[in-house]
Amino acid sequence: MPDDALGRPYGVPTRREPVVPNGVLGMLIFVATEVMFFSGLISAFVIGKSNALGGWPPPGQPRLPVEETALNTAALLASGVALYFANRAFKRDSPSTKRLLGLAIGLGGFFVLFQGAEWVALIGEGLTITSGQLGGYFYLLVGTHALHVVAGFIILLYTYRKLSHHDLDRFTFWPAQIFWYFVVGVWPILYWQVYL
Amino acid sequence: MRVWIRLARVGVALAAVALTWAADLAHACPSCASPLEENRQAFVDTTIFLTVVPLLMMGGFVWWLRRKIRDRDEPPEIAVPQNLLRDAGRFSKGP
Repeated sequence: MPDDALGRPYGVPTRREPVVPNGVLGMLIFVATEVMFFSGLISAFVIGKSNALGGWPPPGQPRLPVEETALNTAALLASGVALYFANRAFKRDSPSTKRLLGLAIGLGGFFVLFQGAEWVALIGEGLTITSGQLGGYFYLLVGTHALHVVAGFIILLYTYRKLSHHDLDRFTFWPAQIFWYFVVGVWPILYWQVYL
Repeated sequence: MRVWIRLARVGVALAAVALTWAADLAHACPSCASPLEENRQAFVDTTIFLTVVPLLMMGGFVWWLRRKIRDRDEPPEIAVPQNLLRDAGRFSKGP
């Protein structure tokens, strides 16, 4: 039977591809709820900060490591850029996809480890979740984000595994990217609000 | 009789509008009575932020979806030979 220009047999109804794949739509809805969740947390923090009578940060509390976290912020942003280029390479079916995706995962892992070390140091200085408003807000906001980074890290590892088995398609890769871009995008706002 | 019912409805509506004038301070607002100007401003700013963010997200999604649908140049649902498409006269999709 002859085929048309797209390789389809004549006369056989074809299935329409959806405008937005289900996985992408599901992830977009999920990320929208996450945006509102973080917006609520940030709003609570902004109001709490403005309500502090002794100024902000409260006196007698440890200072947050602004410069070190700036480096960590750069690592997370670089991870987002690496993922963007990994997607471009994936579209071209280039072998550099694996390397770039590995770089994005590595930088994400570095962010988590660095933040873990930062938390250990801060707890050592006496900043805990019950030590005051600063500690409470800090661990709530940054901790919630850290949980998301860990989840995104696991999702990226899953895509890397699928890529290694030549089993990765764009319907899996695209939602994973949306989640990671959200995690990367929300962090500078948190850094600006909490650390600066 | 109908006129009286209409007038009664208008009266109820006007009374409801008049009640909104009577409201002075929203008791649900935790910082409206705060002595700190910065706190009041933060409350206003976050209210605007939380109102605008979902509207922007929904608007952005609809805009993106419309663009995707518009840009989609779909082939016919049933595969047909190219010469048939060309010979379809004014219904032809063109070369």
